[in-house]
Amino acid sequence: MFYRIAGVYHTRYDKARALWPVPADRWQITVVVIFALAAPFLLSDLYLGSYALPWLIWSAATLSLTLLMGLAGQLHFGFAAVMAIGAYTSIHLARFGVPFEFALLGAGIASAAIGALFGAAALRVKGLYLVMATLAMQYLVDWVINNVPAISGGAQATLRTPPSSFLLISLESLEVRYYLALAWAVLLAIFFMNVKRTSFGRALVAIRDKDFAAAVIGIDPFRYKLLAFFTSSFVGGVTGALLAFCYYRAVTPEQFGFNVSIQLVAMVLVGGLGSIIGGFLGAGFVLLIPIILTNLVSGLAASGFLTVSSNLLAHLPLMIYGALIIGFLVFEPLGLAKIYDNIRKYFLVWPFRHSRS
Amino acid sequence: MQHDPFKNGSDTFVHANWQDNDHLITVLASNAREQATAIAMRERDQGIWQEYNWAQYLEHVVGFAAGLDEHGVKPGDIVLILGDNRPNLYFSMLGTICLRAIPSPAYPDTPPQELFDQLRRERVRVAIVEDQEQVDKLLGLRETYPGLELIIYDDPRGLDGTAIPGTVSFSAVLARGREKLKAEPDLHKALISRPNVHDVAILLHSSGTTGTPKGIPLKHGHVLSGVRNAAAAGYFHKGEIHMAYLPIAWVGDFTFSIAAALELSFTINIPEAQETALHDLREIAPTLYFSSPRAWSGMLTRIQVGIAESTPFKRWLYERCIDFAVKVERGRLKGKKPSLYQRFILKCGEFLIYGPVKDQLGLSRVERAYTAGEAIGEDVFLFFRALGLNLRQFYGQTENCALAIAQSSEDVSLTGVGRPFPGVEVKLSDNGEIVLRGDNIFDGYYNDVEATEKTLKDGWLHTGDAGQIEKDGQIVVLGRVSEIVHTAANVRYIPTYIENRLKFSRFIKDVCVIGADKEYLSAILCIDIDAVGQWAQENGTSYTSYAELSQSPAVYDLTHSLITDLNTILPAGQAIERFVNLHKQFDPDDGEMTRTRKLRRDVIDQRYAAIIDAIYAGKGNINFEAPITYETGQTGVIARALTIRSLVKRSD
Repeated sequence: MFYRIAGVYHTRYDKARALWPVPADRWQITVVVIFALAAPFLLSDLYLGSYALPWLIWSAATLSLTLLMGLAGQLHFGFAAVMAIGAYTSIHLARFGVPFEFALLGAGIASAAIGALFGAAALRVKGLYLVMATLAMQYLVDWVINNVPAISGGAQATLRTPPSSFLLISLESLEVRYYLALAWAVLLAIFFMNVKRTSFGRALVAIRDKDFAAAVIGIDPFRYKLLAFFTSSFVGGVTGALLAFCYYRAVTPEQFGFNVSIQLVAMVLVGGLGSIIGGFLGAGFVLLIPIILTNLVSGLAASGFLTVSSNLLAHLPLMIYGALIIGFLVFEPLGLAKIYDNIRKYFLVWPFRHSRS
Repeated sequence: MQHDPFKNGSDTFVHANWQDNDHLITVLASNAREQATAIAMRERDQGIWQEYNWAQYLEHVVGFAAGLDEHGVKPGDIVLILGDNRPNLYFSMLGTICLRAIPSPAYPDTPPQELFDQLRRERVRVAIVEDQEQVDKLLGLRETYPGLELIIYDDPRGLDGTAIPGTVSFSAVLARGREKLKAEPDLHKALISRPNVHDVAILLHSSGTTGTPKGIPLKHGHVLSGVRNAAAAGYFHKGEIHMAYLPIAWVGDFTFSIAAALELSFTINIPEAQETALHDLREIAPTLYFSSPRAWSGMLTRIQVGIAESTPFKRWLYERCIDFAVKVERGRLKGKKPSLYQRFILKCGEFLIYGPVKDQLGLSRVERAYTAGEAIGEDVFLFFRALGLNLRQFYGQTENCALAIAQSSEDVSLTGVGRPFPGVEVKLSDNGEIVLRGDNIFDGYYNDVEATEKTLKDGWLHTGDAGQIEKDGQIVVLGRVSEIVHTAANVRYIPTYIENRLKFSRFIKDVCVIGADKEYLSAILCIDIDAVGQWAQENGTSYTSYAELSQSPAVYDLTHSLITDLNTILPAGQAIERFVNLHKQFDPDDGEMTRTRKLRRDVIDQRYAAIIDAIYAGKGNINFEAPITYETGQTGVIARALTIRSLVKRSD
């Protein structure tokens, strides 16, 4: 219906390889981008600061992880630890007087170095064993942060982020922090879209599908797996730093616990492995649906439509949430991205079932 | 035979109003001068569109002409053009014209024997062909026709590095021509001004439904005045986007893709291959689209099959929208204006269904859609008009550049073909034949005085079509005068008229009605494998092949009901009483049809004599031994059991 593609032709191959050759896709993206840019003027501070902002940062985190899990096929159950390294590195650098921009860079490098180190150890193992290895990383990093006062500032301590600015703009105001998070999420999305089309991205996909076969066609699995861990950890570290500076504005070890790692994996899986739109949708689902459900259930209870014990009332949102995740994964194992794709294709071939040309 | 303004050696000066230098090449040169960078041609190659602007167009044409000159092509030479639509073949045709030689295109799938006849008849010395396949075909013919001195090929694939004497690549000729142009700066201008409006621009051929094809020379003046007449009446606009996918040997392609394209600076788009034409059509989304009624009907079948497979909601919505639009369109053809409410629903439908369907077909930008060649089915015509395409009918023959009569937006109707173009006169001869006069009417057949005298009388072209002129000036074509046939009971009927009515059903691909000097009419049907196959799937009829499907009793019931419906609207005595579903489709390769898919009745009568005898002997089935020719050239026989059905119980 909306997808009109008659009259779209290309005279050069690079135009034919454009990201969005279909006009309808272009205007959809334009609408989303305009809405994202206008959000500070449309949303109240509450919605902007506690819904939109974390959504963007967690989407960036999901994109970082899906590069590793979706594209390169390497399971990682310790990604919160990677982000923790980024957060702690940046905060210490900033407190030391390093400008925020360089603190972000330092966060990325530190995460990438440690992430790649564990990645290298994990290179010899695959599948469930890799899960165990990355879990080990999670617990090791947690333990180190908790037990080295130089890092955590002492047990149960909270490190506040020092006042800082990005490109001379102070990060004090919520709008600035929102735009910074938006810029990072968009940058990552664009990076991810293009990585998929480079030889690096194709090499990762080849390794994901079968690393023996990839080796046979001349891809060095060791090098590319390491590069995948490195890249993913780098952007994960920067995202961790942004999470600390833009959203929490403080760091404690609990913010990057094991449950956060699991939540990240859930975001990747619910969104759809290796998909960009899935990264945003997955993060949004895992982050926002519980809140929406809680509000909905308590709203229903308050208005008298729902008469259950207050005990059940507290658990009802969680039950529905769990059922939703199971439901989505049963209904479409490839995640929300696939559901979006199905809807898009439904309209793409409208009014037929298959393409007619 | 070039530049002979005096007809047949007599001293009557014909076309006194033509300006000597008003020919295709001057038109091309003025395009190249005035809009040098505008895109003149696009060809899809390896998935992307290669563009040529008008300056490049002219440069290729003149360069090739200079190269051809070097190879000794003389004015009046007939040059064979053989292949699918390719920019280089269009450049070759115009390059040939530049030298006042005459391009003579042939269909790429012409069998060698027919090609041989054409070569010998027209004493062809030079052939310009598309690819290795055609080169091989001509090399074979050269053994029996040594007069063929030079074969120029466009696509070097499979020929590169082989030095076959007497063959040269298009690019080599072009390179040689360019060198010569560089050496002689005046040559460019000389070549451009060499042709004359009275020169023959192209030698086309009649389809040869009866006997050998006749050569039909059209001069620059003919095609240009034809195109100008059409443009004056608003049938073509300047700068149309046009898809050049119809065979170059067909008159329409020359008038649309060369004459009109030059005169009205079209952008011509050439598909990558015949197989990708539909896909490429969607990429380009032309503004002008011409197709035969058969192709329109094929398109409708494709949509209907697609909808039948679609999801229930989409199908429901589609049916609601289309039914509504067809109803409104039916009213509109009767002169009823759609009400405000109907216009509102049509707007919604445009967004929901009509627009997307047109988009899927690549017709969303078409403003002028035409059909010609034979009668178009009511369903097909109404459907595409209901979609919002201003589909209109054309009437013309090769002899008048295919531009003679057309429907304007106001007088669209199913029965008539419209009014003559400005500059074309139409009247009916005494025996009810449509005769035409105008500047776009040719001056006589190639080397065939007898046929010319029969067709051209006092400047009036005798079309051979029986017709009538309505009160409002609309012309109605009834059928071929020569095709009026009498049964043994002396009932007059026109087989094509009945056949076309049957072919309007999507289930029937071809049909041959038999009845000349017989007691009653009968029919040989060829089902449409796509539509019937899909129908069979839905109705649980299993089949493995065309032959098996055609003989299935369920399919017989289906065709039976179609003929029963037809019989109710046919006049008394013209009802089809018996029919058979043929085990194969009629095929030009078997000689059963012409290349333009018109039936060759004598071939069918002879080949299927056994079936026809069985029909009139009243048998219920026949074991038919079908002769077949394998690709290797061997022949064999396949026995097929065919059922014959009766619709009417005869008392005797």
